[in-house]
Amino acid sequence: MITLRTVGARLRTNWHDPEVRRHVGLLFLGKAIGLFIVLTLITRWFLPAMLGAQAAPAAAAAAPAAAAAAPALDPMATVNAINTVWVLVAAFLVFAMQVGFVLLEAGFARSRESVNILVEGIADTCICGITFWLWGFAFMFEPGNGFIGLTGFGLQGLAPTYGSTGVALLAFWVFQFAFADTCSTITSGAMIGRCGFVGDLLYSVGVTGFIYPIIGHWAWGPDGWLATMGPIPFRDFAGSTVVHTIGGAISLAGAIALGPRLGRVFKRDGGGPMPPHDLIIGAAGGLLLWFGWYGFNPGSTLSAMDTGGIGRVSFNTTMAACSAGLTTLFYSYVRTKKWDLALLTNGFLAGLVAITAPCYWVDPMGAFFIGIVGGLVVVWGIDALEYLRIDDPIGAIPVHMIGGIWGTLSLGLFAAGKYGAATPTGQDVTTVVTGLFYGGGIGVLKAQFIGSAAVTLATFVSAMALMYAVKATGTLRVSAEGELEGLDVHEHGTTAYPEYMISGSESVFITMATDEAA
Amino acid sequence: MKLISCIIRPDRLAAVKEALFVAGVTGITITRASGHGGEKDIVTVRRGSKLLLQFHEKIKIEMACSEPFVEATIDAIVSAARTGAVGDGKIFVQQLERVVRIRTGERDNAALTPVTAGEVQEHSQHLAEKH
Repeated sequence: MITLRTVGARLRTNWHDPEVRRHVGLLFLGKAIGLFIVLTLITRWFLPAMLGAQAAPAAAAAAPAAAAAAPALDPMATVNAINTVWVLVAAFLVFAMQVGFVLLEAGFARSRESVNILVEGIADTCICGITFWLWGFAFMFEPGNGFIGLTGFGLQGLAPTYGSTGVALLAFWVFQFAFADTCSTITSGAMIGRCGFVGDLLYSVGVTGFIYPIIGHWAWGPDGWLATMGPIPFRDFAGSTVVHTIGGAISLAGAIALGPRLGRVFKRDGGGPMPPHDLIIGAAGGLLLWFGWYGFNPGSTLSAMDTGGIGRVSFNTTMAACSAGLTTLFYSYVRTKKWDLALLTNGFLAGLVAITAPCYWVDPMGAFFIGIVGGLVVVWGIDALEYLRIDDPIGAIPVHMIGGIWGTLSLGLFAAGKYGAATPTGQDVTTVVTGLFYGGGIGVLKAQFIGSAAVTLATFVSAMALMYAVKATGTLRVSAEGELEGLDVHEHGTTAYPEYMISGSESVFITMATDEAA
Repeated sequence: MKLISCIIRPDRLAAVKEALFVAGVTGITITRASGHGGEKDIVTVRRGSKLLLQFHEKIKIEMACSEPFVEATIDAIVSAARTGAVGDGKIFVQQLERVVRIRTGERDNAALTPVTAGEVQEHSQHLAEKH
């Protein structure tokens, strides 16, 4: 009571203060203006809008003739818009994988060759864009025969949407360009540190212009012989075989044609891999690849209307990466008593590669086990390459080729028998895919084996021919001096960290005149 | 006692280390160094402009040796680091006045040999035979 009385006394004294009276008056004036605005809005705009919305159906029911007279909206136009936007969003995510690849490769390489990796990653992207526009897309996705597409060169004379997908043609092109680019960047990974830049440009044209689109047509072309194979066609949902096994098999051919880096001693000769230069960049690149995979796999439905499908694909992608990562992590600890970051990164990437083919047709349990096996085969793949004395600085061959082969075959084992195909307006379960473990027999596994073996062998043989052809021009491998000096300085005239070099000439830029005089 | 320091090419480091270990010199200190010798300057490029790189990356190795080891050390470095081209580096030998091992307080020759020297040398000789 005493406090209340003192508060009252203070208010009374304050009220006599003219300044306080003015402030309080202003405050109430402001409140009143605000209240007035809110009330006006409610009565003048919000209430009529609500009443109008309630009245509208009644009016429509009352005047059906008037509604019919309005132009009918094509329901497919909305569907096509949603699906096109979905494919474009996925395409942009897949493009982010380029960043992941250059970071991963640069991080796991020595610093003296990281500029080379960055230039190759960017140049490969540019080459891929041009070749895929001029003839790559026509070879891969347009009708021709079972082995190669033969129409639509330069994207001329094609329909506004691709096939029956309802996705705008150029949006579909951007999505597939990002895939082709991924394949070509995988290739450079196993050839880091000794591959000359001119050689890289030459084989890149061969990879993105010929090997990838032509062999990809077999599995993804409208009339490719693997896609139309009977009785059960070969299935590769998002590219374990088409993108990753092709990329990995080309990099295997490249690593064999090049030979190991100078000074690389293999485990059976008492040596080991050369040290990576920045594990932070490498691991961040690996995680960025994982992020990009959320465009790679779910986007391959080409349909946002198949909501169950895109959700399941995203889930399976996550699950396989998690179980594969944990598998390699614990496996590395069992073998070396250390929690190995580089192996962990390769491990979850192998899980992602493996789930890429079966992600639409397997259930969560299937994805979990596909990841576990993916995490094991990548470690055995690394051991096998080390034993065969093949120098693969970042593990492109075990992750992409071996992980891709496992993923393709795993569909024949784990397909759940509940899912068919994604269509522009939902899912189609008239023909479901059932694997061996779910009572579907050996048929799917056989089709997957034929597809995987045919693509792997054809890619490896053609890539060997390509690499030895480039080698014959003398541009595939740099000179020994150039390799010891480092590809960055030798091929690109700079190091990745120019400021850290003691140059002795902070401001000595040579003009063209003195250059010519020298 | 002599302090031997040498400047070598970075890519010869593995071979020089191996040769030194085989010769029984297992206590060495290595520094990344940059320097200028008789080599040609490297021209680097920054966004279209040319820039001279006057100093070359080198490795500097320092080791303290008792008298009987000096010639063997020099031979080991020369044989392992020589490529025949300009820029192979140099060896400097200086008189060393005193050596103290901090852990035990041992002086001079007693302080020179690392405790694991025999083991390391044996292992390296074994590896060298295998190659």
